[in-house]
Amino acid sequence: MAGVTRQAAAIGGGTGLAPGRPRRLPAGPFALVVPGLLLLVVFFALPVLALLLRSVTEPEPGFANYAALIGSGTYLKIFFNTFLVSAVVTLVSLAIGFPVAWTLAILPQGVAAPIFGVLILSMWTNLLTRTYAWMVLLQRTGVINKSLIGLGLIDAPLPMVNNLTGVTIGMTYIMLPFVVLPLYGVIRRIDPAILQAAALCGASRFQALRLVLLPLVAPGMAAGALMVFVMSLGYFVTPALLGGTANMMLAELIAQFVQSLVNWGMGGAAALVLLVVTLALYALQLRLFGTAGLGGR
Amino acid sequence: MTEPYLEIDGIRREFGPVVAVEAVRLTIQRGEFMTFLGPSGSGKSTTLYILAGLDVPTAGDIRLEGRSLLSTPPQHRQIGMVFQRYTLFPHLTVAENVAFPLVVRRRPRAEIDAKVKAMLRLVRLEGFEDRKPAQMSGGQQQRVALARALVYDPPVLLMDEPLSALDKKLREEIQFEIRRIHQETGVTILYVTHDQEEALRLSDRIAVFSKGVIDQVGTGEELYAHPTTRFVAGFIGDSDFLTATVTAAEKGRADLKLGDDVIVRGVPIHGDPGRPGAKASLMLRPERIDVATAPSSAVDGDRAALPATVEDITFLGASIHLAARTAWGEAVAVRLPYGHPAAAGLARGQSIGLGFEPAAAHCFL
Amino acid sequence: MLLQFDRLGWWRWVLVGITGLTVVYLLMPILFIAALSFGASQWLIFPPPAWTTRWYGELFADPRWLESAWVSFVIACVVAVLSVVIGLAAAYGLVRGTFRGREALKAFFLTPMILPVVILAVALYALFLRVGLNGTTTGFVIAHLVVALPFAVLTITSALEGFDKAIEDAAILCGASPLEAVVRVTLPGIAHGLFSAAVFSFLASWDEVVLAIFMASPTLQTLPVKIWATLRQDLTPVIAAASTLLIGLTILLMLLVAVIRRGTRS
Repeated sequence: MAGVTRQAAAIGGGTGLAPGRPRRLPAGPFALVVPGLLLLVVFFALPVLALLLRSVTEPEPGFANYAALIGSGTYLKIFFNTFLVSAVVTLVSLAIGFPVAWTLAILPQGVAAPIFGVLILSMWTNLLTRTYAWMVLLQRTGVINKSLIGLGLIDAPLPMVNNLTGVTIGMTYIMLPFVVLPLYGVIRRIDPAILQAAALCGASRFQALRLVLLPLVAPGMAAGALMVFVMSLGYFVTPALLGGTANMMLAELIAQFVQSLVNWGMGGAAALVLLVVTLALYALQLRLFGTAGLGGR
Repeated sequence: MTEPYLEIDGIRREFGPVVAVEAVRLTIQRGEFMTFLGPSGSGKSTTLYILAGLDVPTAGDIRLEGRSLLSTPPQHRQIGMVFQRYTLFPHLTVAENVAFPLVVRRRPRAEIDAKVKAMLRLVRLEGFEDRKPAQMSGGQQQRVALARALVYDPPVLLMDEPLSALDKKLREEIQFEIRRIHQETGVTILYVTHDQEEALRLSDRIAVFSKGVIDQVGTGEELYAHPTTRFVAGFIGDSDFLTATVTAAEKGRADLKLGDDVIVRGVPIHGDPGRPGAKASLMLRPERIDVATAPSSAVDGDRAALPATVEDITFLGASIHLAARTAWGEAVAVRLPYGHPAAAGLARGQSIGLGFEPAAAHCFL
Repeated sequence: MLLQFDRLGWWRWVLVGITGLTVVYLLMPILFIAALSFGASQWLIFPPPAWTTRWYGELFADPRWLESAWVSFVIACVVAVLSVVIGLAAAYGLVRGTFRGREALKAFFLTPMILPVVILAVALYALFLRVGLNGTTTGFVIAHLVVALPFAVLTITSALEGFDKAIEDAAILCGASPLEAVVRVTLPGIAHGLFSAAVFSFLASWDEVVLAIFMASPTLQTLPVKIWATLRQDLTPVIAAASTLLIGLTILLMLLVAVIRRGTRS
């Protein structure tokens, strides 16, 4: 066969047919995106914009709602509570989450798997169920107060519901998996040989932690921290149930403006504040870590 | 000249401002094993994808037995293809993978079973019918892909670097299989690779791609012995390039000056040197250089000789590699067969003469 | 060193200690609720004075509990199906499409996930009040779909990105039409992604509280709304019984997912 075809490349004459511009290959067309896009525009983007608009149109055009929001000590205290609780929840989640993720990453698979099971179970359990459980556990006659008294650590029950302590405990419970799972992924991707190399270079365990492991994990920690902080800022259910009416947080305030006070202007204004802070923090996260931190991957 | 079977007629493909393929023309005979050889980005895969119908040319045409294929969508072209990555359908068994083309063609069950059986025998995977792709090695997966691409008797089989993910030993084993299957089926094969050894081992003819055009088409031996461009000379086999000045050129032969005073006469030249004095490169094959232990720049009969010194000697079993440097400072690699008499007494720093036949060398502008 | 358990020295006991306490922290509410749901104490005192199944009896005796669970289930099923269908179309367009603004659109599809739900709830509440969708099943489905869709888009997008397009091309060269290639090859190839998308969408709807509180009416409420409304009155052990059943369902779902994952892997 080879002998027959031994010939130079035959050069075809003329320029051949020119089919013009390359045709579009069968690829996912824009049309497929349209149903989802319509749904989100009509039932998400537009209603949210309309709500925000009401903050400057109701009851009359102007920024009176914002002035009222900033001018009142009550509202400022709510803002303060919201940021305080979010910050504490974030710090505690990181302080617990990092060692737990670290441990999970180095434990043998057989031991780590059931711990993951517990993490996933707590994450998938109905939110109200979890919050209810904490209301029961933390109440004056609850298990925790009884145990502490039984152990002789305290004389009288500690107030742990209807205050910010309860909110912080309950929220940390909810946020913890959101720190542990991504951090686990980050630590698993670090080659253990790098830490061995650090030891061979003469680093003590503490130095290796401070100079090698923590810097490698830091971007993941920062991304996780921002996510937890932002989620906490807008949380509604847990603060409403564990914090009681005296310790309101921002999301609750928005709901109250709309549901109890039927004051759409103030509701819109508070929503805008929450929205702006949330989006600003996400923009910061995108700027610092790219899209990788946004739940994907 | 036999009737052209598959014609690639002036294919051009632009991606925005980038021209990936520029005026590729080629005809392929029925039953031929044609390899597109070239570095990555030379346009060989793009040309293959255009043949498959997975990409569309900006200009040009492709014809199979005189009929243009461009208006036929890929699923109706009947062309078989094996991809670089393993593209078996992960949820189907081996038998179901091979049967897939016949199932979508709504062939009767009995025919499908018979053909699948025959194909698995052809690629020597009998007994693997019920395996899932994930349970097989890369080499086995590519053999299943080959069976799937051949099961509907395509007139042309395209293969896009199908073995590049496999290790060397396995690659050679499957190259042998591909050759056997080509002979048994007589299918026309277009094979893309960047591995010259693979191209030489498999092909009837090789088309060397460079920067979106075909530099040269020919059998492996033709490309090796008579490269027409410097790129082909450098890409196929090992080569030494020395800078030279053309002193005279006539009827495709040139006289060259190397260094200050070495003259080599009658070297085949490719390209028009214009007037004398043009800069050129002299290409030598390392294994066609002879070593004389006495330095000499004299022209002995029709042999040329270059004065040089030995810089390093490497023993590589079947051959001995010599790193030499010409008197005017250019590096030359020389390969002597094991047992060559000149190799025995060589030492570093020794002065030698590098002899070669000008007619076997090439001059590129 | 730091990433090898047996080379950590005494540090490992610190790490194991923290992890152990965390596991207790994570398990405690779940275990105690399950235990207290069988306790005889009206005030959920631990240890309970006696054991009883009385609260389960009350739960099943009250038709409103079962009714709201059924409403939740139906809405979650409809949401899961719509979310996967719309999400699959959108994800396919976003991954395989070549149109401009694809990245921005992808980000837009995920925004409902990162925005505080309370804002969406209040905004939709305003819209639904105006168009009369409040307290309707349709209203619930739309609201839940908005929060479920990003999960579906995200999951299916990453499944599609992990699925080599060359496999789809190979199917087309084998003679399958583009649609046939998608149905016969791509969809089975990303089946695990579609399944995860359905589970996540179902859970997003089933567990949704904030939207539901705003959408609910006295005649139509989901299970979370019923729990919420009851909770606001008192901490009755009936909720503990309901919660225990929900935890049981969660465990069942986790097992189902694990079994199916294992099945698709081999």
